[in-house]
Amino acid sequence: MLSSRRAFLGTAATLLLAGCSSDVLGLRRAVRVAVSWSGEELRAFHKVLGGLGTLSYPVEVVPLGDDISTAFGAPSTRRPDIVMLPQPGLVPRHLADLEPIPDDIAPLGRARLWKELLVHEGTTYGVPFKTAHKSAVWYRPSVFRQVGVQPPRLWSEWLTLNRTLTEAGVTPLALAAGDGWVLTDFLENVLLGIAPSVYLGLATATDPRPSQQPQFGAALRLLGTMWSAPGLLAGGVKESLVQQFPDALVEVFGHRKAAMVLASDFAEPVVRSFAADPNDIGLFTFPPMTAGAPAPVVVGGDVMVLPKPTTEDARDLVRRLSAPTAANPWIAEGGFLVDGRTSGYSPELTRLAEQLTRPGEQLQFDLSDRLGRIGDINGLWRVLTDFLIAVGRRDTAVQDAVDAAMIELRKVEEG
Amino acid sequence: MGLQTNGLSLEVVGREITGRPVQGKPRRPAGPYLLGLPALLLSCVLLVPIGVTVVAAFRTRGGFGFGNFAVMGDPSALHAVGNSLLWVMVAFGTVVVGFFLALLSYRLPAVTTFLQPALVIPFAVSVLASGATFRLIFDPTPERGTITAVWTRLFGTSPVWLGPGLFWLVLVSAFGWTWLGYVVSIFRAGLDAIPDDVSRTITAEGVKGWRRLRAVEIPLLRPITGVVTLTLVIAAVRVFDLVLIVVPGSMQRSADVLGLNWWRATTTGDDSGRTAALGVVLFAIVAAVGLIGVRGLRRRRWAMPVTVVRPDPSLGRPKPGRVVRRFGWLIGLAVALVWIFPAVVLVATALHSPREAGLRGWWSLSGLGFSSFAAAANVGLFRALLSTLVIAAASTAVLLVIAVPTAYLVAWGGLPTRLGRIAMGVFVVLAVTPVQMYAAPLRDAIDTAGLAGSRVALALVHAAAGLPFAVLLLRSAFASAPPALVSEALQGPARQSAVLATVQRTYRPALVAVAVLEFALVWNDFIVGFLISGPGTTPLSLVLWGEARQFSTSSGPVAAAAVVASVVPVVLMLSFWRTVVRGLTTGSRP
Repeated sequence: MLSSRRAFLGTAATLLLAGCSSDVLGLRRAVRVAVSWSGEELRAFHKVLGGLGTLSYPVEVVPLGDDISTAFGAPSTRRPDIVMLPQPGLVPRHLADLEPIPDDIAPLGRARLWKELLVHEGTTYGVPFKTAHKSAVWYRPSVFRQVGVQPPRLWSEWLTLNRTLTEAGVTPLALAAGDGWVLTDFLENVLLGIAPSVYLGLATATDPRPSQQPQFGAALRLLGTMWSAPGLLAGGVKESLVQQFPDALVEVFGHRKAAMVLASDFAEPVVRSFAADPNDIGLFTFPPMTAGAPAPVVVGGDVMVLPKPTTEDARDLVRRLSAPTAANPWIAEGGFLVDGRTSGYSPELTRLAEQLTRPGEQLQFDLSDRLGRIGDINGLWRVLTDFLIAVGRRDTAVQDAVDAAMIELRKVEEG
Repeated sequence: MGLQTNGLSLEVVGREITGRPVQGKPRRPAGPYLLGLPALLLSCVLLVPIGVTVVAAFRTRGGFGFGNFAVMGDPSALHAVGNSLLWVMVAFGTVVVGFFLALLSYRLPAVTTFLQPALVIPFAVSVLASGATFRLIFDPTPERGTITAVWTRLFGTSPVWLGPGLFWLVLVSAFGWTWLGYVVSIFRAGLDAIPDDVSRTITAEGVKGWRRLRAVEIPLLRPITGVVTLTLVIAAVRVFDLVLIVVPGSMQRSADVLGLNWWRATTTGDDSGRTAALGVVLFAIVAAVGLIGVRGLRRRRWAMPVTVVRPDPSLGRPKPGRVVRRFGWLIGLAVALVWIFPAVVLVATALHSPREAGLRGWWSLSGLGFSSFAAAANVGLFRALLSTLVIAAASTAVLLVIAVPTAYLVAWGGLPTRLGRIAMGVFVVLAVTPVQMYAAPLRDAIDTAGLAGSRVALALVHAAAGLPFAVLLLRSAFASAPPALVSEALQGPARQSAVLATVQRTYRPALVAVAVLEFALVWNDFIVGFLISGPGTTPLSLVLWGEARQFSTSSGPVAAAAVVASVVPVVLMLSFWRTVVRGLTTGSRP
């Protein structure tokens, strides 16, 4: 006993000495990068960092998940040096906390679409690292073939498709209602499809009031009509509520319990690693709401921003990460789109990248990020979760659920 | 000593002396007061920020008042207060259940054979790890979740265990799994310390069942109940990371506890006065519960556990019959198997590839291997381990150096009774103070000092937070062996070694207990590091949490990280558990 205890203490002491290098003690200042990624994405980002070569400073990755906005926390919180902000729409709200991007890479932040969020009075406050296409639906072609249906070209076709699948004994949809942003993405696609001008108006308003827009209610009603169809959701509303985004993908491709799932391009690595049959993976983009209207494309992404005060090391890391080849290790893993680039991806992602760069598309940034408090976890996320629960109840009419949601939304707006 | 003549059996049993042998006031030299100085300085690390928070809570725009407490009218804050109180109830419930389990294992001694290690392991595992384990077990898909699979097999369909309302079951199971072992062990040690003569007398008088419980066990265990309740209430109010990891995002609102509510309010940039008010309310609840809970501690009469004559072993507690022993053995085995099961799930999940762990439950036979460990290593697990080790070791060392003289001072330094009581009261209140009370000002101070991100600063905060409990514990131990004994040991000519052994026997377990508990607590910490150092210091828990954001598809790496993170505290606890329990109960003897 005594000798083993001694050995244990000896080992502990050795480890301790070995561990007392200055960066473990936190004396040497590491560049800390706050990210919202976890799982596969987090590992892919570590590979990206590994591919940058030898750096003269340590880099620490801080995974913050949905609570990434804590990176800007109370004014005196010890902040990360770089935030990979998954909601570019938040940039205008945090200008006072941000350092301008160095001039040599600033043009990257002035690209199409990004400019309106990242540039203010001629100064660039962020550079895109990763672009997300949030209007993609992943499905299993084998099921579609078996039932004899095609990917929908219109919203109404999609509803019919769901009915056909249900009648054939196939559950059409898996929904990750456990992640509020999945629900807001769904709504944003519908809203952008039926009323692009209302969408833009809300996105750019200084005091947005979605509850006063009848079109917002109309979008909710359309969504409610789809979600309330009996047998639509794998596991029903109850199980959907506890499903996180990757769970829904596993339900479709791993457990084969549903046919489709609305998920962004970044679903790709999860889809591929959990698919029971790697050849049974298909993708269609969100259909137009009416014939002749353009298909909605909701865009998201992660932008690199530099909270104040920044360091030369942090600027250097941003510079390295925005180099064209920096993201290659992640692109090789799948599920990564670079702004403006259309090559080097899998066939599915190439299609999404092409839609993002094609002129004349109905492209808009994620709305919920730009609504501030109204669009976040205590606002629209919560309202939509309650809305889903309401339409899931057989005894509630969709219109009642819409009315309740609009009232709830007004309460949020009034704070 | 036993004596038998003519069929008459006489028995002489030594009775421990309780209370001070000589009444009167001791002389009070001033020198020992210096012993408390380091503790006073370290406590200021908490006391000053707590003061700042209290002032901020009462400061309104127009001066001082209760204006900020209007935040309590906020329905979400009220809901969180309700949930926090519910957690305190859960803590009391755990104490009651633990007491009866301990009683069972006392009456059926063979139960303990398997039970002890099975109950200790969960206590050593971090809250995040046990939360992750229970989320795995209750996963809502029958392919992955054990309970869902069994339920579906039996009844055709299964409730969604993590769904609305039902997630409480998962939360409470995880909490109970972590803490019940501790409660049972401590109560059991207390029961074992009931003097033989007492239990023999009671048995001879034919007092049985409920009456016996009320006459003997409950009153004699009151001091221990105080310690146990205190620890559990602290744990219940600190519930924070458990909710974050167990409850799916869509339901976190309904699971909100005051600590989480406070955290969300501070991160969304809510008015600092209002968040401070929230913190003060949380603090008031806990301090009240804590002070009531430890009333028992104050009523203690000190005992000197010096065995004069070793009792004849045949005269110890009567051994139960063979049937009872076998019965107890079986119950013990069954409970132990149930108790160890979550740990088995965790290890088995970690031994599957990330893909297999995400698709199927731990029982699946395909995809076995170590690739989940490799995946966890890829996100910086080992660097985080090293950093955690440094913080835990440093804070334990600082704590011991400062707590020992303080405890000596409080126990035997000759403090005036009133001052001693006030000091103990302050320590009790500090012991239960939620991190939220000092996090914000402390964080600002650390930033201003340019120590942001320094592990040393974090270790100091941990030491300060651990100090009150350590002093309370050590003081009990010191109080049970008076300094006269120490000086006799050092100067006395004759029985030097014997007395020294006694001193060592009384002090050492408490010291070991303090060191082991502090080390494990800091090692497993999430909330202090998270709130004080911000998200950057990557202690182990943060890595675990980062992986857990996409829970089921990351379950392989999450389980692997949890297993790796648990090895050190589990080994530590298992090897020192008996000493720790003795340390926790010295001085608590009736």
